[in-house]
Amino acid sequence: MNWGIWGLVLISAFIQVASVQWHRDLLQVWQQQSALKLTLTQENTRLVLEKSALTAPGRIDKIARQQMKMHAPQSTRVLQP
Amino acid sequence: MSHIEADDRKSLTDWRLVLVLVAFSALALAIAVRLVMLHTVEQPFLFEQGEKRTVRDEVQLASRGDILDRRGRPLAVSTPVFTLWLNPQIINLQQIPAVANILGMSTSKLTKRVRRAASEGRSFFYLKRQVSPAVAKDITAQRVAGVYAEDDFRRFYPAAEVTAQLLGIIDVDQRGQEGVELAYNKYLKGHDGARRVVKDLYGNVVKQLAVKSHPESGSALQLTLDLRLQYIAYRELKAAVQQHKAKSGSAVMLDAKTGEVLALVSRPSYNPNNRSQLDARQMRNRALVDVLEPGSTIKPFTVAAALESGKFNPDSIVNTHPGYVRVGKKTIRDHRNYGELDLTSVITKSSNVGTTQLAAEVGAESLWQLLSDVGIGQSDVLGMPGEVVGSLPYPEQMDDLRLATSSFGYGMSVSALQLARAYSVFQNGCQRNIHLVKNDAIDSSCHRIISEKTAAQVRQMLETVTSDRGTGSRARVPGYRVGGKTGTAHKVGRGGYEDSAYTAVFAGLAPLTDPDLVLVVVVDEPQGKEYYGGEVAAPVFSRIMQQSLNLRQIAPDQPLQSLVMRGGEI
Repeated sequence: MNWGIWGLVLISAFIQVASVQWHRDLLQVWQQQSALKLTLTQENTRLVLEKSALTAPGRIDKIARQQMKMHAPQSTRVLQP
Repeated sequence: MSHIEADDRKSLTDWRLVLVLVAFSALALAIAVRLVMLHTVEQPFLFEQGEKRTVRDEVQLASRGDILDRRGRPLAVSTPVFTLWLNPQIINLQQIPAVANILGMSTSKLTKRVRRAASEGRSFFYLKRQVSPAVAKDITAQRVAGVYAEDDFRRFYPAAEVTAQLLGIIDVDQRGQEGVELAYNKYLKGHDGARRVVKDLYGNVVKQLAVKSHPESGSALQLTLDLRLQYIAYRELKAAVQQHKAKSGSAVMLDAKTGEVLALVSRPSYNPNNRSQLDARQMRNRALVDVLEPGSTIKPFTVAAALESGKFNPDSIVNTHPGYVRVGKKTIRDHRNYGELDLTSVITKSSNVGTTQLAAEVGAESLWQLLSDVGIGQSDVLGMPGEVVGSLPYPEQMDDLRLATSSFGYGMSVSALQLARAYSVFQNGCQRNIHLVKNDAIDSSCHRIISEKTAAQVRQMLETVTSDRGTGSRARVPGYRVGGKTGTAHKVGRGGYEDSAYTAVFAGLAPLTDPDLVLVVVVDEPQGKEYYGGEVAAPVFSRIMQQSLNLRQIAPDQPLQSLVMRGGEI
């Protein structure tokens, strides 16, 4: 009987150690994933801002007028059949 | 002899053994007692002290929701950054130069600051807030004990000054301070998370003890604003304010069919991404916060009230001879003697005498009812911070003179947005909820204010204003029928109306066949020879409206002057 109890105590002790280790491993993974998420969010925001800057109406307007010599159509329209 | 010596030696050995055993036993007992003391009597104190050094209640910041325009383009986004803080009690002063060097700070100043904080017993101060991840990485790579990096967010506004006043700003603690950021702060901010962790000397989490709540990012907010139209409106307004050396300006564009705000701009503006030169005056959203006397832009409502009364039709004649009329002790004048005018010409010529006579015929109650129904002086429109209500005198407050001045837009005040909302009634005689946020729950039903017939008649009258004989001919847009009304109001100073300070306004709709856009342009205190609404605000209206109609691919409703095909004219 005593041996059985001792056995259960030992098993529970091992399980506790293993669960603590498991928790640490999971925490480590969580930390890594959080850091990765943060990095990806930052990269995503950077790309969103970059895209936004590149497609800004002001920039397109400037390029169209200055580099491509485009202008808004006036009262005369040219139809291209 | 040797036997006796052997016995003495054995006795001495036994005695030494006993002494050592007793000493070790006493030592073991002392250790045991100490252990018991540590685990029982001193345990709570030691546990508390241990936790103070390693266990931290950590707040996990939630990312603030993005603000988007109607097409999903970002107007405000949050990006992860880091906030660096320092514990003066722990940091080694010899490591300060390395930290200061990376952050571009003065080593001597930082050292002084640390010494002073340490002498005051402080264990926390911000080293630098909202630094980029690259800089934070360089700092943490130094492994300086006592310097820690915490997650933070920084707000960026890609459209910068174009949307500055409308969106507003947030503070370093992610709380909305102005504009949409403040009005929708609860919706945008999300919920911070909280957890209890064990940290090492360098601030790394080595054990998580409990998670109280997970961070929940704020929701994205989609506005009805069209960034392209906003940019066009801002560019043209900015050019006009600069050209006329005006004090300020604002423009509001509404979708006449849905009540959505498409553009809302103000000048002067500021760059919310760089607030080092920020002036509080630049932060005013003048389209919502500033009030103006609408002046002649109210006349179409006086005429609409006359038409709705059933006593008048567009061809009814009003005699404005001799070009002025005495009301009480005051004389109300036209620019010249227009003689007999029909109702359309009252609008075309912007006759003060004509609207005075119409108002007298219609009565204060009817005029007030219409003006209040279209929202003048009644309530704020969007519920934004600082939005003005304006003012409109009650019928019982209107004596003959006040009724007369109200008929041509004096003695009352509106914001540019209120004026735009009022003009939306001429789309088809009813008014919709004006809204800035895309939301399916918004009531899109139309609240009828005037009949469809009256709205159509007033639209035709407004079109004559942009004709060659009208005051707003410079508001015309090639290819489109445009209607509107000019307004030039004297500004009110300390001593009453000022002689040389004006507000130039133009309010109108296009295309008149089936109005799609309502636009109001206000230029405050234009300097120089041109200061009339038809000279200052109407050209801005024309340029904004033309580009907006093109961008929205609205079909022209007026024959073009000439149509040229490849190879010849037709």
